[in-house]
Amino acid sequence: MVMRMFPNRWVVVFILCAASDGVAAADAPDKSAGPQQSNPTYRVVDGYKVDANTMNGFRAWRAAACDRCHGANQEGLVGPSLLESLKTLSKEDFVKTVRDGRLDKGMMSFSSSKTVMDNIDNLYAYLKGRSNGDITRTKVEELK
Amino acid sequence: MKSTSSWIYGALASTWLLACPGAALANSDVEKLTADPKNWAMQAGDMYNQRYSKLTQINAQNVGKMQVAWMFSTGVLRGHEGSPLVIDGVMYLHTPFPNKVFAIDIDTQKIKWRYEPKQDAAVIPQMCCDTVYRGLAYAEKKIFLQQADSTLVALDAGTGKVLWSVKNGDPKVGAVNTNAPHVFKDKVITGISGGEWGVRGFLAAYDINSGKLVWKAYSTGPDAEMLIDPDKTMTWTDGALKPVGKDSSLKTWQGDQWKIGGGTTWGWYSYDKSLNLLFYGTGNPSTWNPAQRPGDNKWSMTIFARDVDTGQAKWAYQMTPYDEWDFDGVNEMILADIDVKGKPTKALVHFDRNGFGYTLDRTTGALLVAEKYDPAVNWATNVDMKTGRPQVVSKYSTAQNGPDKNTKGICPAALGTKDEQPAAFNPKNKRFYIPTNHVCMDYEPFKIDYTAGQPYVGATLSMFPAPGGSTMGTLTAWDAGTGKIVQSKPEKFSVWSGVLVTDGGIACYGTLEGYLKCVDANDINKELFKFKTPSGIIGNVFTYEHKGKQYMGVFSGIGGWAGIGMAAGLDPEHGTDGLGAVGGYKELRDYTELGGSLTVFALP
Repeated sequence: MVMRMFPNRWVVVFILCAASDGVAAADAPDKSAGPQQSNPTYRVVDGYKVDANTMNGFRAWRAAACDRCHGANQEGLVGPSLLESLKTLSKEDFVKTVRDGRLDKGMMSFSSSKTVMDNIDNLYAYLKGRSNGDITRTKVEELK
Repeated sequence: MKSTSSWIYGALASTWLLACPGAALANSDVEKLTADPKNWAMQAGDMYNQRYSKLTQINAQNVGKMQVAWMFSTGVLRGHEGSPLVIDGVMYLHTPFPNKVFAIDIDTQKIKWRYEPKQDAAVIPQMCCDTVYRGLAYAEKKIFLQQADSTLVALDAGTGKVLWSVKNGDPKVGAVNTNAPHVFKDKVITGISGGEWGVRGFLAAYDINSGKLVWKAYSTGPDAEMLIDPDKTMTWTDGALKPVGKDSSLKTWQGDQWKIGGGTTWGWYSYDKSLNLLFYGTGNPSTWNPAQRPGDNKWSMTIFARDVDTGQAKWAYQMTPYDEWDFDGVNEMILADIDVKGKPTKALVHFDRNGFGYTLDRTTGALLVAEKYDPAVNWATNVDMKTGRPQVVSKYSTAQNGPDKNTKGICPAALGTKDEQPAAFNPKNKRFYIPTNHVCMDYEPFKIDYTAGQPYVGATLSMFPAPGGSTMGTLTAWDAGTGKIVQSKPEKFSVWSGVLVTDGGIACYGTLEGYLKCVDANDINKELFKFKTPSGIIGNVFTYEHKGKQYMGVFSGIGGWAGIGMAAGLDPEHGTDGLGAVGGYKELRDYTELGGSLTVFALP
């Protein structure tokens, strides 16, 4: 993960999944994962103003009612804390979990949700920003 | 002379019952079983939902000496709601998903038989607010199990063998079940869950012997599908009962929204034999974003009275037209014969999620009393007794404030001043004992698109204790004839446990920390007994007698909506971030852990 702080307080984060998230190996039988096609980026100002894509990630989080299980602020409820999980979960495993679910643990499959699947990279970017502590509020606003 | 003749009639009636088995006797069977206080033959002990027992061996004088008689682990971790049944020396226990059933010989505490259905794990994430299940029903040597995946099953009570099974809903679209089935006459009545998935609610009646669907009544849509007669189904309007009129539901929805409009039916139902009416409530309209469903959204949030044989609606009363807060109307309907404003009344008493305690004439559906049973309730000033409509306070109207605006400080929270945890009625002093939540919320609705089988919520909520105190619940004694709080006993957390009241002069309930408590029924601030069970209690207290000894029992096993934060993964570091949903309940971790078990008590 490379993070650069600009003088105007924009934080730009490039998330290089394989490099930073190798710890999740225990949960990831197919860790051999292919090339990183999309490295989702988020831009955040003042902790809550985000770029359009990350904003869509937040909207997907809300539309899919993820808070029902993961808590209003991703802190965990009946499902695990995403603030913690996203520190170790690889991008591949994130996508796989959201798409296929972990049914026995109560995580549903969102494969039939167009909102979620169309925004999976944006959702990851938003949650990664929350987990990294760069996005300091759950509810974000779009950068104008 | 008088007493002699009624004795003769009683004897004649019993002879007739013995001589004529068959024809619609389930009602008589259950009636007979519930009339004997040695049994606990229905979830509420009787068909009136009173949660009252005539047993007196454990009483206000000696309950302090009560001890644990035996315990039983269910082997299931998540929230344990409802209670076991006890019939003729056998106890029937249920569990949350995977919905195991145990029949236990009370003499030996040996498991006579067990049953565990095979269910698709995909059902687990579809269950709102934990994988709870509220219990079994019994009639004519059959146990009725309502599985999470919506399958309704009849088991042979002697062996656990499946007699029949029927699919009640489609879990693929989120139609699952958490409610207990109820047997009235020769029918087993069940509902449906899934208000957060856009499920169109209904109540269904199945024949207890064959499992054949007898009738099905939707909560929304065309009159015929709701079993509503526009001319004969009555509702409280302008201070009188008037026919609901044609298309009473369709007229209150925009377009086809009613097809995904909720009004689910996962509460406790009651039945009055003399009126042949069953009573139940319908849940929230879908979605939680009111901007997407302008109109009254009938008949969500409604008390229904239906003919048990045909399902035809006799009357309907909508408590929260155009819901903006998720105040499901499904809580139990308690039938009690009490004085209402000085007049003897066949009443229906209901403590709604919206914070109002309602008293209606159960014969006609006339609205008699509607008062707040928690002074913290602020979303409405009062219920207009002429129109029957709550007077909404603009500041707390999530519809008036609009989507993407956070409406703050609404009391009660979506959990309601009371949720499914059932209240009890004491015929001796005519008081109701209400287990309450004292919790408020912020509510931000937003636009949501419907996809079958995906969540359809459309609002973000945070909940926190009501202002001005640190307590999040009470046990409240209520006078339903006047609509007044008699006494209120504060509890640290929500009281999410069904109350039991007995002729021994005690009222007993569980707490989220895991205590079973008994108080003086005439002065609930007098705590007479307190015992810490293995986990937090969201189950309902029940009692029975065996071989001359009275027992009292309760499930413990934290979970459900209030205890959901206790399940794996809660990050205490972030639990109160912006008053997260679990903020207030975070401290539960200092008291309890997951784990399902039954604790049975008796005097030494």
